[in-house]
Amino acid sequence: MTEEKPLDFTREITSRLGGETITHCYQCGTCASTCPVARTTERYNPRQLIRLALLGQRDEVLKGDTIWLCASCYNCQERCPQKVEVADVIYALRNMAIREGNVPAIYMEFATGLMSEGRLAPISKFLEKKRTEYGLPPLKPANVEALKIILAATGFDKIMFKKEGASP
Amino acid sequence: MTSYALFLGCTIPARQPHYELAARKALTKLGIELVDLEGATCCAPPPIQSIDLETSLAIAAYNICLAEEADLNILTLCTGCFESLTIANRLLKENRELREKINKILSNAGKEFKGTKEVKHYLQVLMDDVGVNHLKQNVVKPLNNLNVAAFSGCHLLRPSELLRFDDPERPRIFDTLIEVLGAKSIPYKNKLRCCGGLLRGYADDIALAIARDKIVNAYNAGADCISTLCPFCFLTLDLGQMLIKTTYKEEYNLPIIHYAELLSLSIGVEPKELALDFHKIKVDKVLEKIG
Amino acid sequence: MEEVKVGVFLSDCGGQIAKILDFEALTNFVKTVPGVTLVARGSEFWRGQGLQTIVDAVKTKKINRVVVAEAVPKISEVAVAKAVEAAGLNPHLVEVLDLKDHCAWPHRDTPKEATEKAKAMLLAAIEKAKLLEPIEKAEFPAVKSVLVIGGGIAGMQAAEDLADMGFQVYLVEKEPFLGGLAAKAVRFFPTDDCAICIQSPKDLAAVTQTSRKCVYRSGFSEIPNLNILTNAKIVKVEGSPGNFRVTVERKPRYVDEKKCVACDLCTIVCPVEVLDEYNAKLSKRKAIYINKPLVYPPAYVIDAKACKFHECAKCVEVCPTKAINLDQKTEQVTLNVGSIIVATGFREYDPSVIKEYHYGEYSDVVTHLELARMLDAFGPTGGVPIKPSDGQPAKRIVFVQCVGSRDRRWNPYCSSICCMISLKHATMIKEAFPDADVTICYIDIRTTGREHEYYYERARDMGVKFVKGRPSEIVHDPATNTLIVEVEDELLRRLLELEADLVVLATAMVPSEDAKELAQMLGIELDQDGFFKEYNAKLRPTETKRRGIFICGGAVFPKDAPTTSLHAHSAAVKAAKFLMNGKIVKDLKVAVVNQDYCGNCQFCPVTCPYGAITLEPKGDGHFAAKVSEILCEGCGVCVGTCPVGAIELRHLKPSQISAQIKALLSINGTSKPLVLAFSCSECGHAAVDSSGMAMMNYPANVRVLRVPCTGVIQVQHILEAFRAGAQGVMVVGCKPDGCHYEVGSQKAKQKVEMAKRLLQAYGIEPERLEMFNLVFIEGDKFAEAAKTMTEKVEKLGPLQLA
Repeated sequence: MTEEKPLDFTREITSRLGGETITHCYQCGTCASTCPVARTTERYNPRQLIRLALLGQRDEVLKGDTIWLCASCYNCQERCPQKVEVADVIYALRNMAIREGNVPAIYMEFATGLMSEGRLAPISKFLEKKRTEYGLPPLKPANVEALKIILAATGFDKIMFKKEGASP
Repeated sequence: MTSYALFLGCTIPARQPHYELAARKALTKLGIELVDLEGATCCAPPPIQSIDLETSLAIAAYNICLAEEADLNILTLCTGCFESLTIANRLLKENRELREKINKILSNAGKEFKGTKEVKHYLQVLMDDVGVNHLKQNVVKPLNNLNVAAFSGCHLLRPSELLRFDDPERPRIFDTLIEVLGAKSIPYKNKLRCCGGLLRGYADDIALAIARDKIVNAYNAGADCISTLCPFCFLTLDLGQMLIKTTYKEEYNLPIIHYAELLSLSIGVEPKELALDFHKIKVDKVLEKIG
Repeated sequence: MEEVKVGVFLSDCGGQIAKILDFEALTNFVKTVPGVTLVARGSEFWRGQGLQTIVDAVKTKKINRVVVAEAVPKISEVAVAKAVEAAGLNPHLVEVLDLKDHCAWPHRDTPKEATEKAKAMLLAAIEKAKLLEPIEKAEFPAVKSVLVIGGGIAGMQAAEDLADMGFQVYLVEKEPFLGGLAAKAVRFFPTDDCAICIQSPKDLAAVTQTSRKCVYRSGFSEIPNLNILTNAKIVKVEGSPGNFRVTVERKPRYVDEKKCVACDLCTIVCPVEVLDEYNAKLSKRKAIYINKPLVYPPAYVIDAKACKFHECAKCVEVCPTKAINLDQKTEQVTLNVGSIIVATGFREYDPSVIKEYHYGEYSDVVTHLELARMLDAFGPTGGVPIKPSDGQPAKRIVFVQCVGSRDRRWNPYCSSICCMISLKHATMIKEAFPDADVTICYIDIRTTGREHEYYYERARDMGVKFVKGRPSEIVHDPATNTLIVEVEDELLRRLLELEADLVVLATAMVPSEDAKELAQMLGIELDQDGFFKEYNAKLRPTETKRRGIFICGGAVFPKDAPTTSLHAHSAAVKAAKFLMNGKIVKDLKVAVVNQDYCGNCQFCPVTCPYGAITLEPKGDGHFAAKVSEILCEGCGVCVGTCPVGAIELRHLKPSQISAQIKALLSINGTSKPLVLAFSCSECGHAAVDSSGMAMMNYPANVRVLRVPCTGVIQVQHILEAFRAGAQGVMVVGCKPDGCHYEVGSQKAKQKVEMAKRLLQAYGIEPERLEMFNLVFIEGDKFAEAAKTMTEKVEKLGPLQLA
């Protein structure tokens, strides 16, 4: 056990968007049993993840790679008898982890794409040509300026790129 | 003619033009007018939700605002877009506190979410606007009992509390729409289970293992192809089979076909009008069977 | 009208409180109060010589109002009232106050101030006493007969108790046979006896001479005074407690119970076969049938939905006793009963809504009741658990616990008996088929009753496997016709796929389908889960808020057989107690409506926690409220609710409240601003008592005025207190969810909020008014509140009234 007081961490989670229902959990294991990832690897078990969080194991939860192994399929959330919004709780935990600097490379890539192009998958010259060949209309550009304003208003840029005003 | 704001998202236009092409051809042919939105951005799917849920809601709401301004309901092709936009639309319509919070953010960009529009997946448009009977009448080249393993992807159905698309445990809509085309929607093990696509890029080994299960289950059930709605599922299962070949030394050659493509083919679009060369697993076997 | 003559009796508690209060000053003060004709001081007045003094004064007509300052106010009140009644005075002309716990003890550090407060308290009691009016007793007829609704264990036990005690009992069962859910359950835990075993009737000892007996052998139906109506349901309830008129509709049985000899000839010739629902549709029965095991009556019944009637009529031809009448019609019977017991039980939840378990879709997924039919030697499989899909014996059986219970999506509560049912069935299977592979998937195993844990022990000894984990899905493998239960074994942290021939769902137990309709007819409440709601879970577990209507067994919450029995006996005792005198005698401490002021508003009928108020047409197109004297509990919530002051309590008139407010605030005697505390007679007053009992200190400027329930308080009472000189007002009531009159405390809170807004509008600081919700053990909190309130008001400075 770390020094973390379980209740503090629990309250931190329940006060976040997505994390509200974590305390409903009574550890029945339905989530683990229905989880496609848990069926594939021992590295991930949503029931244990929630257990760790409720016991206040903040570091183990937020610093490890477990929270990034959820495939967001929502099977667990759908079938949870206590209406724990498991997938949403994991989003809340990821949101917290990101703020503490636990940012997997692929997520940095996504954020960079979003900030610069307004899209996660930038279009290539090759695809642009292909589109014309198929008779598809040219892809309309995203309004990156408006998006940047929104990302600044939510603090997304700071969350991801830490330094004031920094952007890719 | 019913008009919709076509929300393409990121992946389809930039990586899977064959999906877009088939969808545009089929829907137009069935009397749906598609209007491209100016300035639409990423829908803020799970990767962005993982970074910050509030930002994701704001981005989704921003895009819904564009449709509200154009006075059009939104039609999505990608199930990921469908999920992000529907969740935002429902949450903000039904939770005043959250709406006020997000509108405060949007006001910086000169937008206000009013909650006047619907977000629909194109399957819903086929059911509600085109109608099963009308669709049936338009089928000129029935799919000849093609054994289709329907795979809707997770985010068409779940979380059902907000998406309200179909019964999450016993969905029927996708299967109905496959069977209208003269194909057979076959049962297969763990049909509703995830393809693992969202783990690609973070845990490729796990993602591939999950994808392999999907392929194996459909293959064992005698599927001629897996039909998809989501570009990520498509990528995971289509390109995935290449990776399975190198990693597991197994070869399934199971074609993955977007439903929009099957739809196009059945209502008289010629294969050469579609961009079928974008498939890693060749679809010739399927074309052969449907003649 | 007779002149009012008040006798005041001052007890100094054996001289104890005279050390603090100046009794000579008090006596002298009381003597000066107009209307007081007798003042006596003594050691105690609620018994012995003291009480005799009061009785003598009453008998000699020296006094006709009694004020007693006594240290044990509640006991004193009862004792003095009883004594004066015997002496010829109406018992409601007595006012008792507590100078010890409400004055001397809490203010013992300031004896002078305490004495001044005591004067104010005595004055208030005297002024109130002067205004007291006699309250007469009313008698309502109570028919010594009881309707018991539901013929399962609870209903049969309660009916038998009451019939044995000599009451006329009508036992009404909606099915064609008695027995309820229990009859299908094969065996019961923890007694391991048959489901159809009941207590032996008293009057038939000659027949039974044993503690228990099969229902059909017990002579149950022959118990004197017991009338059994099967195939019947309640359609209308009228009248009032003690005198209900109940309309019962009897569906035709088409077989005369008195003629049928259960010879079976009719079923042999009957050509119609249908699936037998009683046997979980695992077998077929004819359109004319009898349930086995048999409970009562030993007579066949025709299934009207299946029978071809006159088109066929083969049964009529063969019946040797001419018992069959195909033209029988539905008939209505009206019963006159004094009391009603609801014993409608519970039922299994339909688990098909939990789609991941595929009940109703995979026939090898069954419920416990369905398994019970298989385990019954009388049942469709002769005691062998089978796979319904192919009829083969089931060798691998998996039980799934908490199906639709402890599940916020369906039923949030624990059904409490399903763990034991699984253990019972698992051990029954292992006993008969030791090689069977039996697994129980559980979240928690709950074996809390006597001998229950032994079932768990025995199951483990017998080799039943336990997997801690709730299955996420039951999958069917068509190739092998096998079910696969997907579950995480949490203790191994391993995901299992358990193969099973038969999966048994331990489903939630839910209220019977007709609970809602019945509750509406009876005017009683259901809880949030749809079960019948008891008056008080701890103290009145089988009573309802409506007098004369009782509930028991599974209708109240899922129960095992022993608890159901216990509950049924309790309801029977309560019903007997209610009716035993053949009349209901009640002091008319009730609300009365001034019909001239009352007008159409409907506030009080909706607010009354006892449904005692109805709107009656006045004749001019308007309606006026009418209070049922038998249903009214005298709380006064209606008084507090009425916007035009058209209702008052006979036992606390507006003039009596005003007189007390004035008197309590007429003398201060302290340097602090006066604070008036309205307290309810229940938890609020108990908290004031206990602060004194525990010798807690609070300043003597705080004065307490007792009302039956804080719900009686109107905004004008609060304003009146300020006008009469209070600088602060406290309202002390029960906890919002613990009010003895259900809603009174909540209503008072609303009234306080309203008054605060009004004060603000008048330019008076709203914090001069506060509500406190306390219980007996919170005397410290009362003392604390009194202190804080005083300090707050002191800080605010004198109240400036325009």
